[in-house]
Amino acid sequence: MSVDGNLPLEMELPGGPLSARPLDFIFLLDASSSMDGAKIQSLNQAVEAALPAMRDVARDNPNAAVRVRAIQFNSGAYWHIPTPTPVEQVAWTPLSASGSTAMGRALSMCAAQLRTPPMPDRALPPVLVLISDGAPTDDFRAGLNALMAEPWGKKAVRIAIAIGEGADLAVLRAFMGHPELEPLRANNAETLVQCVRWASTAVLQAASAPPSRALGAPAPSGNVALPAPPPPASAADVW
Amino acid sequence: MTLSLPQSLHTREGQPVACRRLLGEGGQGRVFEVTVDGAAHALKLYHPHMAPAAQRGMIERAVQGGPPSAHFLWPTHVVAGPGDAFGYLMPLRPARFRSVPDLVTRRVTSTFPAILTAAAELASAFHDLHAKGLAYCDISWGNVFLDPQSGEVLVCDNDNVDVDGAATATVLGTPRFMAPEIVRGEVGPSVRTDRFSLAVLLFQMLFNGHPLDGAREAKVRSLDGPALELLYGTRPIYVFDPKDASNRPVPGIHDNVLIFRKIWPSSLQRLFATAFTDGLTQPGRRPTEGEWRDALFATRDLLHPCGACARPNALEVDALRAGDAGACWSCGGSVGPVTWIELGRGALALPLGRALFPHHLGARHDFGAPAAQVEAHPADARRRGLRNLGAGAWTITRPDGALVPVPPGRAAALEPGFALDFGRVRGHVHRTR
Repeated sequence: MSVDGNLPLEMELPGGPLSARPLDFIFLLDASSSMDGAKIQSLNQAVEAALPAMRDVARDNPNAAVRVRAIQFNSGAYWHIPTPTPVEQVAWTPLSASGSTAMGRALSMCAAQLRTPPMPDRALPPVLVLISDGAPTDDFRAGLNALMAEPWGKKAVRIAIAIGEGADLAVLRAFMGHPELEPLRANNAETLVQCVRWASTAVLQAASAPPSRALGAPAPSGNVALPAPPPPASAADVW
Repeated sequence: MTLSLPQSLHTREGQPVACRRLLGEGGQGRVFEVTVDGAAHALKLYHPHMAPAAQRGMIERAVQGGPPSAHFLWPTHVVAGPGDAFGYLMPLRPARFRSVPDLVTRRVTSTFPAILTAAAELASAFHDLHAKGLAYCDISWGNVFLDPQSGEVLVCDNDNVDVDGAATATVLGTPRFMAPEIVRGEVGPSVRTDRFSLAVLLFQMLFNGHPLDGAREAKVRSLDGPALELLYGTRPIYVFDPKDASNRPVPGIHDNVLIFRKIWPSSLQRLFATAFTDGLTQPGRRPTEGEWRDALFATRDLLHPCGACARPNALEVDALRAGDAGACWSCGGSVGPVTWIELGRGALALPLGRALFPHHLGARHDFGAPAAQVEAHPADARRRGLRNLGAGAWTITRPDGALVPVPPGRAAALEPGFALDFGRVRGHVHRTR
């Protein structure tokens, strides 16, 4: 129903885009030698496959300006995507695997970026997604302490995904620091896709617009109530 | 790696449902474009663990009951498949309809008449839904779409629609849109909580900001669950609360809201103030959908370009009655002179091109074919006339008492002091400074 036909009122509405808070989404990815071969390929594919759905979530949440970064760790830790990149501009360059597992160093590097500045005063809770198939070969505790010493590190929604049976679940549990939620277990490529997709969509959604508690339920533990994780897959281990 | 399309689906009636492509994904399930018997539909297919019996019952009732109006992409058929697969068909959304997030981020642009039309049509759609005794339960910018040029609207995701007061809702609502009493965990969704969410949605569309986001939001560093509960649940304060200035918009952060504060007329702002002051704590005080619809259409009726800069202005009826259209929100110049007509209890500004619908001439809510349109005199561009596009004759009563008939197809001069008898209503023409 075009009501006013040629009424000279067809001028654009004033005002700029809705005021949005930054939401930093940081992948911390294990690229050590144990990941070599099918695992690192599956990880690359899982991240790449999650990006379109992640963009959809970002588009539907105008309150959040989603910015993606990635750290890879092997014998050292390196920024794979160093600058906070709007999710619609992220193009994934595949990782390759070699060396040991400097997970602690990766957490320290992440912590340095969660300081204010460079973090803004006002933001949405950052989301950190740690994916590993092994045990740290450096001082993990020092890295975690550095992260938790930063207010934004403490506020961050921290998700861990364990690839295969060799992952150090105690370490991943300590990273998450969540009383109810366990690290996700990805024992094959398909489950890894699901887990990464969940972290980059459902968790991103929850951090963009933290949901309310359910009717009559107590206040959720943690600062962002997390959605139910994907159901465990029954498929056999393909690695 | 791509996710494979579901196979072997069929409608409850046994027709095969062929998935063509994934359209989107949400917390509850995925939406596909499908064909059934050669015709294209949208299919919402629930994740296996996300369609409890209560949800299935709601969808089956929706299919049986039919849509409240043409504004709803309503479930038409229940779909089942291998294992526990469950979903429903609904009409596809045409591409010209865009999301409200697209609008508020200015990824698409709209106009004053279109945004007021869309807001009024949404109020009208939820009026029709509530009139059937149903509550939507999750009104937010994620569930409605609009044509940014015409203002037509579509309401999607109707699978949470429930009988008002049923309290079987599987979804409590969307953060920042839920009524405070839901955020506090006290009640489930209802028609009255829908009214709060509708007011938030209308405010977002018209002010491009949130009605409760002001100085207090600006002070929050990490906007997480506890912060949202405080701002939108336990201690919400309207940014323009007339009695509490503690949460005013902050320049540099909430600029849009400050811009539109100068634009919308007091009649509309009064409704927002009621919704977000008394209405925060007294659900019964929240404006009804009918009040919103009438106020929004009335605001659209009083749009007029500024005489100095041509930017659209939403005029105040009291100012018109006092003979002065006021100053332009944009350039500060004089909007007038404005020719306008008082019609019963309503008022219409009459800039060149303005169409009048049967709605204005006594057939309320009929926005079908225009009944009249403002035109320039063919020989004197400064003179304005109102062309009779209807089937019946009108009568002009001149200030000297002379009666002049206006047969269909002819135009009546719009001169101050003229009275126009349209048959069912009578109007009086005025002109401001």
